[in-house]
Amino acid sequence: MIRIEYATQRLSLRFFMLMLVLFLFQVAFGLLLSAQHIDPTLLAGELNFNVIRAEHTNLGILWILSGFIGTILFVGPLLSKRELAAPGLIKFLFLALLAVVIWNVATQVLAQTGVAGWWEGEPLLQEGLEYLEAGRIADIVILVGFSILCYVVLRTFPKVSQWNEIHWGLGIGVVALTGVWIFGMFFVARLDLQEYFRWYVVHYWVEGVWEVIHISLVGFLLVLMFKADIKSVGYAVFWGISLVWLSGLLGNAHHYFWIGTPEFWQFWGSLFSALEPLPLIFCFWHVYLDAHQDGKPVRNMPAFAFLLGSVVLEQVGAGILGFTMTFALTNVWSHGTWVTLSHAHLALFGTFGMLGLAAAYYAVPLMRGLTGFDQRPGKLAFWLVFTSMLGLGFAFAIGGTVQVFVYRTLGLSWFSGDVAPAMQFAKLMVPIFGLVFAIGVCLLVYDLLTLGLARSVAVKRLAQEAAARPARAPGLWGRRLTGWEAGLWLLGMWIAGAVITLGLLSFNLPFVQHGHAALPYLMASVGYPGLFLVTLLFVWRFLNSLEARGQAELGPLPATAPLATGAT
Amino acid sequence: MSCVEGEPCVEGRKRRRALLALGLMGIIFLALSAFSFLDSRGQAVPRTVTYAGHDAIAGKRVFQAFNCMGCHTMVGNGAYFAPDLTKLYGQVGPAWLEAFLPSAGAWPTRAAVQVQLADPDVAGEAGVTGVEEYLTKFPGAAERIERRSAHASTMPNLPLTKDDVRGLIAWLKYTSSMNTEGWPPAPRVDGVSLRQAKSVPVAQQTAATSPDAASAGTQAAAAGAAAAPAAARGEALAREYGCVACHASDTRRLVGPGWGGLYGSTVALTDGSSVKADDAYLVESIVQPNAKTVAGFPSGTMVSYAEILDREQVDAIVAYIRSLGEKAQ
Repeated sequence: MIRIEYATQRLSLRFFMLMLVLFLFQVAFGLLLSAQHIDPTLLAGELNFNVIRAEHTNLGILWILSGFIGTILFVGPLLSKRELAAPGLIKFLFLALLAVVIWNVATQVLAQTGVAGWWEGEPLLQEGLEYLEAGRIADIVILVGFSILCYVVLRTFPKVSQWNEIHWGLGIGVVALTGVWIFGMFFVARLDLQEYFRWYVVHYWVEGVWEVIHISLVGFLLVLMFKADIKSVGYAVFWGISLVWLSGLLGNAHHYFWIGTPEFWQFWGSLFSALEPLPLIFCFWHVYLDAHQDGKPVRNMPAFAFLLGSVVLEQVGAGILGFTMTFALTNVWSHGTWVTLSHAHLALFGTFGMLGLAAAYYAVPLMRGLTGFDQRPGKLAFWLVFTSMLGLGFAFAIGGTVQVFVYRTLGLSWFSGDVAPAMQFAKLMVPIFGLVFAIGVCLLVYDLLTLGLARSVAVKRLAQEAAARPARAPGLWGRRLTGWEAGLWLLGMWIAGAVITLGLLSFNLPFVQHGHAALPYLMASVGYPGLFLVTLLFVWRFLNSLEARGQAELGPLPATAPLATGAT
Repeated sequence: MSCVEGEPCVEGRKRRRALLALGLMGIIFLALSAFSFLDSRGQAVPRTVTYAGHDAIAGKRVFQAFNCMGCHTMVGNGAYFAPDLTKLYGQVGPAWLEAFLPSAGAWPTRAAVQVQLADPDVAGEAGVTGVEEYLTKFPGAAERIERRSAHASTMPNLPLTKDDVRGLIAWLKYTSSMNTEGWPPAPRVDGVSLRQAKSVPVAQQTAATSPDAASAGTQAAAAGAAAAPAAARGEALAREYGCVACHASDTRRLVGPGWGGLYGSTVALTDGSSVKADDAYLVESIVQPNAKTVAGFPSGTMVSYAEILDREQVDAIVAYIRSLGEKAQ
């Protein structure tokens, strides 16, 4: 019988469950938004677009955080080889998170009547700033919550002198998570200064903090899944974090191009944020290496599929799509259009959302004491959400390219008269892919909620059937993935990314500016589908090569011996 | 990097080097930041911008309270559902915004903009004396009137007070004066064909989407054959001159009192007295709006229509208000 090594690891289960429920709600709000894009009068006056969008972005942040907390609590004891500190505080943290979610969902509706709850110059109830819509009351509760998380993590970890890279990454990550949040907690009168500090929270969270937590957790999950050598993973984590910060600290400048700050930011932002994909390539490469360092069967395919999805969409959404619009000369066009949405959806859901889902698929079966489980729903759900999220990225990117031309190049500013009709094709694709995404999400939420509760009999039968089936020879897609081949796939993605970048650059050409859209449209319709197709096929290829290794039971958690801390 | 037993440990040195590089980046970043917000740069600041006695910072609070950024973008950041507002004030000017914001559900007509210019504050801020001059000075307003006038917009009506509206305009005046380093890029195209734009005028849209509206129209026609033409003309005038921006056709309070059920009712005034809403009172309220102010509403909000409408037009609008009163009873 498999057991969880430390009893307090079980505290992570409630955070994973909350994550799944919030995810469902977030997707439902997203579908509503896509419907309102097609018919802007839908629910107008009752539930306005801005309210639904605030719920959509806020729930997105909250469920990703819930997944992070769950994952950190699950791996914390394994990293420290002792129980989590202050389990009572963790239970309180859960209740506070639940309360703040409900409070924030409720207060966002006040934007329809213009009630912000101004008190001493600060908006107590809701703030009306993108991503920071939560009012001051929620802000303070969230700050307390982060502080509790810091306390628990730092008290659980061993002495600093015994920390390895993963300890450092997570330790710095949770402290910075708390520290950066403070910059979003005051009213700023100047627009340029307000945006300057708003990106402290948004950019440094994503690029500085979440990325660091992401790298550390991906590293540790690889150690757990493949028994990868903690030293080589630690090496990757160290370089990953160093590169993230060295590029990301000044990379924030790409948010300061047009907000009223001086022109010199265009130089610094274009230069340093072009380096931001480097750590992502590094991370991508390590997933390949670690997954292939032994040829043993993968025990938990859904967990690995989501982990791979996380790293690949990080590469595509954050790395490549971020790169395409990070130069002042491309950003001047993409800024403030749907082109940004393509990047935001793939990067946020892909990188951070899928990591939480991967961790849940890894941890939930272990916490429920399963030796095996029916992995088919999980794998199907992965393909549904992965494919449809790429589809959404495509719809946003194409819609955005049309928007750039109509709105910026032609200068037509009538959204319901000129801009929206031109974008109609893309606007229709969004709810279609959104619906597929929602089906995938329902499937995976159902699967994770009920995993191991009712279906154990079927699992045994499945295992017997699988054992009885003769082993198939790996086909073209199932043979071993070599480093060369993986490199070629990555190169393919970047070539498509280069086409997209040049397409955005072509908006600067005089003949395009005089009203000829053919060149940017052609490059977008080659670049974006090319990128997403290569991505899809690569993940298909990668997972097939792992599937070909055969099935295996979940087995016990790996012994903690290889996790011994560094400085012994 | 973790150390291995028996090998020289260089872990600390590598960490220190990485931290040193990071510290250097941090110093560059902070230096650039400090320079960005120096007064000597001459960047516009909201503290110094006012519009008709309302300051831009108060307007920012309204902007945030209604989460405008949740549909629009401002310096390109926001929701991409509605247009960017950064440079809007410079394109359309204050009178167009005054006409649009109180009831954003329909695009202002030329007459509605003209009415706003009757307010000396607005005309002074716009720096023009008449509507012709205004439309030349603010081509964005001219283009909007030409193409969108009296069409339905897709923005919901928001419960904005007069102060809210003026605060928002002050805020937009500030953002419009900001130096955003050439963003958004100016269109260089000439001679765009605007024919692809198709949208349905408000009246047709309500008739098409709501069967009630159509049947209500027929009933009204049957009820008073003589009253109907004047009331219908009044309704068109009320829309044309932007009255509906501030007065709802039911009892809701927008900027001013709602017209539904108003006719024949007793109205309480700010001076404590009350008056019956008959023809004479309504005519007076249109030509001399500040003679009697309804309790709970600030005085001086509405401009006088004495120079804008002739007597026959005023009567038609009163007939329309009368028809709304009768319908409600």
